[in-house]
Amino acid sequence: MRFLNALRDGVGFDILLVGAALLFLVALAGAPLVYNVLMSFQQVDMFTLGALFRPFVGFDNYVAVVRQPEFWLVTRNTLIFVFGSMTGQFVLGFALALFFAQNFPGAATIRGLFLVSWVMPGLVVGGIWSLILAGDYGVLNVILRSLGIIQANVFWKSDPAFSIWAVVIANIWLGLAFNMLLLSVGLAAIPRDLYEAAELDGANAFQRFWTITLPMMRPTIGAVLSLGLIGTLQQFDLFPALTEGGPANTSNVAGFWSWQLSFQLYDFAKGATVSVMMFLLVLFASVIYVRSTRHEVRG
Amino acid sequence: MTRTYTPWFLLAVALGLAAIYLFPVYWMYVTSVKSGSEIFSNPPTFWPADPNVGVFGDVWARRAMPTYLWNSVVIAGGVTAITVVLGTGCAYVLARYRNVWIDIGLFCVLMLQVLPASVMVTPLFVGFNQIGLLNYPRTAVVLAAAAKAMPFFVVLVRATFMSVPRELEESALVDGNSRVGAFFSIVLPLARNGILVCAILTFMSAFGEYIYSKSIIQSPVLQPASVGLSGFLGPNSTDWNSIMAYSAIYVTPILAIFVILQRRIVAGLTSGALK
Amino acid sequence: MSAEPQIELIGIDKYYGSFHALKDINLTIPKGQFVALVGPSGCGKSTLLRSLAGLENISGGTMKIAGALMNGVPPRKRDVAMVFQSYALYPHMTVEQNLTYSLRLKGVPKEEMRRATEEVARTIGLDNLLHRYPRELSGGQRQRVAMGRAIIRHPKAFLFDEPLSNLDAALRVHMRKEIRALHDRLGATSVYVTHDQIEAMTMADHVVVMRDGVIEQQGSPLDLYDRPATRFVAGFIGSPAMNFIPARIGPDGASTVFDRPDIRSLPIGKKLDPGREVIVGLRPEHITVGAADGAGMTLKVAVVESTGSLTYLTTEEPLQLTIVMTGRTELAPGDAVQVSVPSAHVHIFDAETERAL
Repeated sequence: MRFLNALRDGVGFDILLVGAALLFLVALAGAPLVYNVLMSFQQVDMFTLGALFRPFVGFDNYVAVVRQPEFWLVTRNTLIFVFGSMTGQFVLGFALALFFAQNFPGAATIRGLFLVSWVMPGLVVGGIWSLILAGDYGVLNVILRSLGIIQANVFWKSDPAFSIWAVVIANIWLGLAFNMLLLSVGLAAIPRDLYEAAELDGANAFQRFWTITLPMMRPTIGAVLSLGLIGTLQQFDLFPALTEGGPANTSNVAGFWSWQLSFQLYDFAKGATVSVMMFLLVLFASVIYVRSTRHEVRG
Repeated sequence: MTRTYTPWFLLAVALGLAAIYLFPVYWMYVTSVKSGSEIFSNPPTFWPADPNVGVFGDVWARRAMPTYLWNSVVIAGGVTAITVVLGTGCAYVLARYRNVWIDIGLFCVLMLQVLPASVMVTPLFVGFNQIGLLNYPRTAVVLAAAAKAMPFFVVLVRATFMSVPRELEESALVDGNSRVGAFFSIVLPLARNGILVCAILTFMSAFGEYIYSKSIIQSPVLQPASVGLSGFLGPNSTDWNSIMAYSAIYVTPILAIFVILQRRIVAGLTSGALK
Repeated sequence: MSAEPQIELIGIDKYYGSFHALKDINLTIPKGQFVALVGPSGCGKSTLLRSLAGLENISGGTMKIAGALMNGVPPRKRDVAMVFQSYALYPHMTVEQNLTYSLRLKGVPKEEMRRATEEVARTIGLDNLLHRYPRELSGGQRQRVAMGRAIIRHPKAFLFDEPLSNLDAALRVHMRKEIRALHDRLGATSVYVTHDQIEAMTMADHVVVMRDGVIEQQGSPLDLYDRPATRFVAGFIGSPAMNFIPARIGPDGASTVFDRPDIRSLPIGKKLDPGREVIVGLRPEHITVGAADGAGMTLKVAVVESTGSLTYLTTEEPLQLTIVMTGRTELAPGDAVQVSVPSAHVHIFDAETERAL
């Protein structure tokens, strides 16, 4: 009876609520993570797929992964993908956030329209961009040619030199809204009279941006960049629609490669190993995120 | 601050920017009704010369869309249900207290938000296989996707709960309510709007779930619309007519909901949920 | 006193869309004067101050600071300093960096900045706080940093936008004196916006009372107190507020008659048309209280409140008056009192125009 009472009142109630969710997450997210690490040290094939304890092979899988011919290419692509996407998303997102911070009728509504990219399935977005980026008949080439930026058609998806940029472009479109929204929130938090005081003190628009806006946005920028890194590494859906990592792995990134290894080549051990490598990178990014949100003031 | 630009000029620029950004969506709809050859015309046309609206009915039947869409709804619904039921309570507790345990709990929850699905899918697949859950593939996907969606949901909803004044709950307790009672009769109704917005976002996101479904569900009868699309969408596709028509049908319900609720969604997100 | 006024406002008009916020404002402020802008919320005092700073555009009129035309000049070229209601201290900078911000923008050499900072810090009493951040300071300290930031620039004018409203009562009284002392020491020209008429009365050389975008009256504090031009100014200046009673001029033209048979008429110090509808204004501190016999009106006491040094009496209907007297009293609710007012302290306002007669 007292146990039931504790469940209705007091700490028992709290523990029940949190515990249920955490239990679920541990089972379906935490355990698989650990399992991943485990598998990366095991020999996994069709015969041993059903067993829990498989032959232990130490770091063999890791060595094998690094020895894969496409390893360095995938690493380079992942870096380009991450830095290219994040730069584009951040710079454009910040520019849009600054623009929409101004006061004009309909600003809030129009700004909200940009969030469309957030609710659309990644595969559909990939599909549309696949069409836009097509070499012969894609709209992007037409627009770029008419603006004089390029002379001949760029084969975004099939040219090994450009394929990674095709995914980067699509990913920038996808992640732009999220960056813009977070940065808008950060901008709005800066009291208006700080800008007025600075203006009276003699600062012009650029000086106000540099000495007031940027320093005060530091925690927000930290959160945006680290969340952006996490989100970019999570990106998967664009790849099957756009390039499938090709041609010849020139647009393959770690996330997609890991999936390919497991579900197209059925080499689960290697897939798990690449996953663990990615996880370490993601861990690093999330530590930065938590530290940057330390400055958050609660309620 | 005194500015020399008139507000109407800024509005025009804003509309222009939005138009540029929303172009891909427009392109999807326009391409779906173009004739096959018009899509490949050079230079491309920005308005269909001879719109073929019949393409939608065509794709609907040929691509087994009813089945696919129904599966998408089932999966999205399942994910939302689990996420809301488990996540709301968790968010409530994490919002209510401020101490070391909460910090640890929050960090753990956040950490689990951070893992890409492509990292998780391998062990999940192997694990599901071992416990035989692969015989119920949609259930497996629902569980996996709910685990993916829950951390984000908890973080957003926690912010909603933090905006409900503690005094209201305390006065309910003083009036004789138990914690359970106070939660259901006072706190929950006040947080209802924020929770609703987050639930809708969860549903919309799960509606487009792809990677788990593709990896776990083999039988076409049980696959959601995203997998159905991937069946004929790839780097070398040329059947843009069908692809865009399919995408349009797939995406329009979501877009409609978004447009209607856009104000609510943006307000809910910007009012502190993103901190 | 120099010949050229420091601030000149001629015919200033301002519209927010169709809302006429400032209507034909004319104000001249000589160098070294402390001017208070007072009025209720929405009267336009903050708008006027911000227009002076250049933070708001004016729709019409001429504005000059130190003889130079300021129409269309952006705030950062006006060389005025403003102390905001919220202080607007830069939270990511130390006190010292806050103070030297404007100097750094101008590229002032380090040595000069250091000297200026030291001097200001000493003047304001912030010497040991230079390396703190605003969030580590108390309200009063932040206020002083805000003022220091203004002082270090040696501007043509200081603008204050309700700087004391975020402080507690005791601190407010203390800071009132400090701000005025600072103004005197620096020989500055200051424009001070407040809704608190006590602040205005105690601090300013010249008080401007505003209402609905118009200047109702301006003059020295005691001028406004003794000779309010309108009923509004009379009721706004002075605490507790003046008592107002509708009445008519008696048949003799030299006294007021109230519409109650049991209230005796009051003699006034001038001659006016008999029968005219007026409003009588009596300051609580000018009403003398005597025993319940003799000359004056007889009223019943309703409430007695004592603060120890002052006593506030409120009388019952038919004539509800607030009376302030020094010291204590034996009177209790229900007692009858005789009240009278010297004719010099009876203010008469026209019932229609509300202007003083």
